[in-house]
Amino acid sequence: MLLITELLRWWYGDGWRLRASLVANRLDGTIDYFSVDLLLKTLFSPYRQISAGRVDGPLGVQMRAMVDKLFSRIIGAIIRLIILLIGAVAIGLQVAIGLIILVAWGILPLLPIIGLVLTLIGWTP
Amino acid sequence: MEAVNYNSASMRAAKARLGVRLGKTWRLILALATIILLAGGLGLVVSHAAIGWLVAGLAALPLLLMEWDKYELENPKLVGGSIDGMLAGDVLGALGKNPTPQDVAKAVASVRGGQFFAMRFGITSGFLQNITTDQPADMATIWQHALEIREASGSKDISAGVLVVAIIRSFAQYESLLAHMQLDVDDLIAGVRWYDHLRDLIEKSKQPRRTGGIARDFSFGYIPLLKRFGQNLSESAGSGQLTVEVASHARALDQLIETFGSGGRQNAALVGEAGTGKTTIVHAFAERLLDAKAKIPANLKFRQVFILDSAALIAAAPGRGELEGLIMQVLGEAYSAKNIIICLDNAQLFFEEGVGSVDLTNVLLPILEAGSLRLILTMDEQRYLQIGQRNPSLINALNRISVAPASREETIAVLQDQLIISEYQRHVTYMYQSLAEAYRLSERYVHDLAMPGRALKLLESGASYAESGFVTAKSIQQAIEQTMDIKVGVAQGEDEREKLLNLEDLIHQRMINQTRAVQVVSDALRRARAGVRNQNRPIGTFLFLGPTGVGKTELSKALADVYFGGEDRMIRLDLNEYVRPEDVSRLIADGADDPTSLTAQAMKQPFSVVLLDEIEKAHPQVLTTLLQLLDEGILRDIKNREVSFRDAIVIATSNAGADRIREYIERGYKLQDFEQKFVDELINTNQFRPEFLNRFDEIVVFRPLQKPELIQVIDLILAGINKQMSLQKISVNVAQDAKEFLVEKGYDPRLGARPMRRVVQRAVENLVAKQMLSGSVAPGTVIEVTLDQVRQILGDE
Repeated sequence: MLLITELLRWWYGDGWRLRASLVANRLDGTIDYFSVDLLLKTLFSPYRQISAGRVDGPLGVQMRAMVDKLFSRIIGAIIRLIILLIGAVAIGLQVAIGLIILVAWGILPLLPIIGLVLTLIGWTP
Repeated sequence: MEAVNYNSASMRAAKARLGVRLGKTWRLILALATIILLAGGLGLVVSHAAIGWLVAGLAALPLLLMEWDKYELENPKLVGGSIDGMLAGDVLGALGKNPTPQDVAKAVASVRGGQFFAMRFGITSGFLQNITTDQPADMATIWQHALEIREASGSKDISAGVLVVAIIRSFAQYESLLAHMQLDVDDLIAGVRWYDHLRDLIEKSKQPRRTGGIARDFSFGYIPLLKRFGQNLSESAGSGQLTVEVASHARALDQLIETFGSGGRQNAALVGEAGTGKTTIVHAFAERLLDAKAKIPANLKFRQVFILDSAALIAAAPGRGELEGLIMQVLGEAYSAKNIIICLDNAQLFFEEGVGSVDLTNVLLPILEAGSLRLILTMDEQRYLQIGQRNPSLINALNRISVAPASREETIAVLQDQLIISEYQRHVTYMYQSLAEAYRLSERYVHDLAMPGRALKLLESGASYAESGFVTAKSIQQAIEQTMDIKVGVAQGEDEREKLLNLEDLIHQRMINQTRAVQVVSDALRRARAGVRNQNRPIGTFLFLGPTGVGKTELSKALADVYFGGEDRMIRLDLNEYVRPEDVSRLIADGADDPTSLTAQAMKQPFSVVLLDEIEKAHPQVLTTLLQLLDEGILRDIKNREVSFRDAIVIATSNAGADRIREYIERGYKLQDFEQKFVDELINTNQFRPEFLNRFDEIVVFRPLQKPELIQVIDLILAGINKQMSLQKISVNVAQDAKEFLVEKGYDPRLGARPMRRVVQRAVENLVAKQMLSGSVAPGTVIEVTLDQVRQILGDE
């Protein structure tokens, strides 16, 4: 009996906290996988340093370099936004799954009682 | 100090026991029960049976138990305060009520920590059972020791390892018990730390790595050339390669981060001896930069380290000026990419002309001086100085970071981490004793590398001498004995023991009398091979005094032959060639320049007889240099490398005072009566300084040989001649009166036995040679040499 009490105490105490940290870790991993913070910080940086260098020369050449750089930045921003978008969906899913797991964790010990109640009511879909 | 109180009824103990009981089988049953109940319940619900809800709900119970077991019961949270609150879960779960020391020994042996000690230290379950009692009252001492050892080792819990040490520590004669296994308590505590470190490594490996993700390099340039001519260290770091954290490396690593993280010239030169781990530091640096969680400046995060391959660069650009162009392209690419740190490993390859190296100073110097491209250079101290001498501005442009050789503790820690890879590759298990032995022996015999590299090199070679898959101290000794051709262990073979016990007889087979001299060198060797000598000195240091031709050099040769395996195992130096102060540099010259120098020969052949002939003729400065050799068995060569003479017998010979010895003998003195007086005379007459003579273990005075002894010398010479002629199946026999005549002819009190060989050569060898050439002797013949024949040859006078 003491052990059952101890199990429930752990389940709603350290166990729940541990599960929450596991969910947070997984979320952290997803954020890292999609390089979210890096993409946000460098959203408008030239893509792969293409046309990123400094160009000296006549105004025409400099103008052309500036346009090239702008183009590289736009391409970079588009690619980054696409990845950010996919990442956001994945993170959203991860959050949803995490929340479900955490709620389910709280309900799990009650399932036998819920099952008993439903059996007694006699409801079936 | 926590209370020495073990409560088997505590909740933590109950949880640990439940965790142990829920073994693999139960875990499988619980998993199956969960699936069956859930599937069955839902099946019933679908088929409109309301009882299905209850069945499905019950599936939660085994699931709860499984989760509890996985995250809590396997190692219940430490609560402190009492023994059961601090014991590691696996041991606690294996203990019952009122455990006896034997119960603890049994429990310990059944879990990982105990198995670790069985494998790494040879402390097996049987061993622990033998030194424990079955009295529960004896547990108090073990618990008390366990608490002390936990504190000393810094362990978070009382693990099985801590208990193994506590059990041994509680045994009354634990010190002699451990000494038998070449261990002490400190070694066992180091073992506890090693086990804890492995547990931490396993924990660390379970933590996911954050390395920046798929878009990490979007803002950085493409590097096709670098990929072709360099090796990306960050890629290997990312794959989880083991890098070791030791204090000296940590300091260098912090300095690297500081250098590249702040403004100023973005370069660093890691300078240290080969083997100190410079390249390992660069690997660790690459790994640190790629760790998203590491505390490093933002401008270093996710930068990648590339080692340039000098050979590939040279091969790709053979033409004049092509290489410079290629290097500029590669470095330009690295600069433009914005996330590259270039490493020039063994940087001398880029700063001097040679095979596989090329001098690119003109190209690299402006880059280093500008300091905008991040560069790491590694080189040893000598090369750094050489490059600095040639081009001081290059050295001025570099931020130097010194890498010191690792200490003993650090080296052992590095070995413990590195052996994991070696064990996996070679399918062996290293015992702790092998690590300690690798450090000890490599420090003495491996000269071309610094720690920890030198110990690691020896440890790896020890794997080839593993017994039943275990690399022991003996394996390491065998490795060094085979590679260096020396003897480091104690005498074990029957042959060797026999030889040692009868050393005097064996030596006397080739030299006459001088019993005391033969005995002192034999005793020294026996002490060495029984392991009872001082390990920090040569095996023995002797000064042989006496006139010429009395057997001083012959004894050294006999020793080299009988014990060290041949007369060529003798390093002989005629010190009459070292009469000027500048001759000291010849004595300690580098082997590459002068292979005949004392240090070069000892480095090549440390297990030998070192014969310093005519020592009285050496310049005082040469003698002063030799003092350290005699005292500590160490001599530093011209490159300041320690050369060990600790496995050599050092014999110095001198003719000083030879006339006085003859005088004493002629006046009827016995050797032992005037030996001390004679040595005092040598000091008083300034022939030797007292501090020099004091360095020798023994000063042995050789007495001149008498005529009866010279007959025996002739017998030895004749035995040598017969040995030479044994191939032709011919032998020679000299009549006794002829031998006496030979002695009369060859005896010279000033020259001892030396003229005897000449006389025998003239008389016997010539006679035999003539007879053989005339064809008068056939194989199997014994040539009899008579007095008349000898007289005829040597004349009558």
